[in-house]
Amino acid sequence: MDCKKAKNLIPFHLYGELNEKDKLVLEEHLQTCRTCLEEFQATKKVFQLLDEYRPAQAPEPDWEKSWQKIQAGFGRERSKRQEHLSRRWRWAVAGSAMATVLILGILIGKYWFLPSPQPLPSPSSKSISAANLQPILTSHLEDLKPLLLEYAHYSPRDQGAKTIAIDEKIVRGLLLQNMLLKRMLAEKDPAAAELLDDLDLVLKEIANRPSQDQQAPSEIKDLIDRRGILFKMEILKTL
Amino acid sequence: MDEISLIRRAQEGDGPAFRSLFEGNKQRVFSIAYHYLKNAEDAEDVLQETFVKAYHSLSRYRPEKGINFGGWLNRICVNASIDTLRKNKVRDAESLDAQESLYVPANPGHANPEKSAHDKEIRETINRALNRLSSRQRMIFTLRHYQEFTTREIAESLNLTEGNIKKQLFRAIDTLKKHLRRFILEDGYGL
Repeated sequence: MDCKKAKNLIPFHLYGELNEKDKLVLEEHLQTCRTCLEEFQATKKVFQLLDEYRPAQAPEPDWEKSWQKIQAGFGRERSKRQEHLSRRWRWAVAGSAMATVLILGILIGKYWFLPSPQPLPSPSSKSISAANLQPILTSHLEDLKPLLLEYAHYSPRDQGAKTIAIDEKIVRGLLLQNMLLKRMLAEKDPAAAELLDDLDLVLKEIANRPSQDQQAPSEIKDLIDRRGILFKMEILKTL
Repeated sequence: MDEISLIRRAQEGDGPAFRSLFEGNKQRVFSIAYHYLKNAEDAEDVLQETFVKAYHSLSRYRPEKGINFGGWLNRICVNASIDTLRKNKVRDAESLDAQESLYVPANPGHANPEKSAHDKEIRETINRALNRLSSRQRMIFTLRHYQEFTTREIAESLNLTEGNIKKQLFRAIDTLKKHLRRFILEDGYGL
């Protein structure tokens, strides 16, 4: 064993962490190398000093009081996370919803209001194919998902989570977006139209229930569950 | 009831089971935070933060992955302690004198003023040396030397490799040795 390796092993020998083989080889080396033996004794002395002057014992905390604070923290932490989620959700959805409404507006303008020698097509016209609308539908469902998840994961037992903070303007924007898509997909994609119909109900509930209504989150959660909305959304995304 | 059963029950929302897990681990978690932060109030805050975080992450804890519950809690506690230390860095530097009083000789009570002065000098040197270590090195040294964790347990608690822990521990001890050189030479050991 060379001196460098021996030096590296010394502290772990003192901590009793060497395997039998390393221990034996180190001990043999220390018998023949004066420099490493001095290093070993110096490290041992450092350990002795550290043990002799070890930190004072911590004063015993009031465990019961600590436990009570921990219990209070169970609800507080969750409501902080929900608030953070809501804030993030609001910004993300506001941006995305504006973009979707803009795209829908352009599409509607392009197909409905452009001068044409032919008669004006109805909203259910075949001129906008379901395939063209698919990315907009996907984006719309992505916008709605965080809001729906917030309701779907709502538990009335959680402290500090009696109501769910929502931004009414954003919900109304989503509702408008939902109605436009529903009209455009009415005949082209019945499955999507059915889902949008369910979403219409949920969004109206969210937008119209007073924010202080403590029953609202549970009832909206039930509505989402009963109609299997999240499941339908997943199915539609995979098609 | 064994720890695994308590964890399973706590994961299902059993409050008394989580309380039992708290009872079984509180002393060690508090002690790690206290030795690292050297302040009882901060250590109590870290203790509470550790168990609140553990409660919320319990559903993600998988005993079958081979990490024991104590090691998992230690990891949360260590990270919370490092965060607290970072936040309190300024205050920490300002309260150096208060920290020094934490290091006491194991057998105090002698009336010899010369010995007292010598003890004080050693105490201050150890404290200065520990403060020279990086926060990670100090945590590793504290866990190994004062908490008597094995390097494997520290690696598990800090989510690092055993080799990395050994390297940092070796450097920490080397720094301490350099600072304490004078006192080692008093005993006639070379360095």
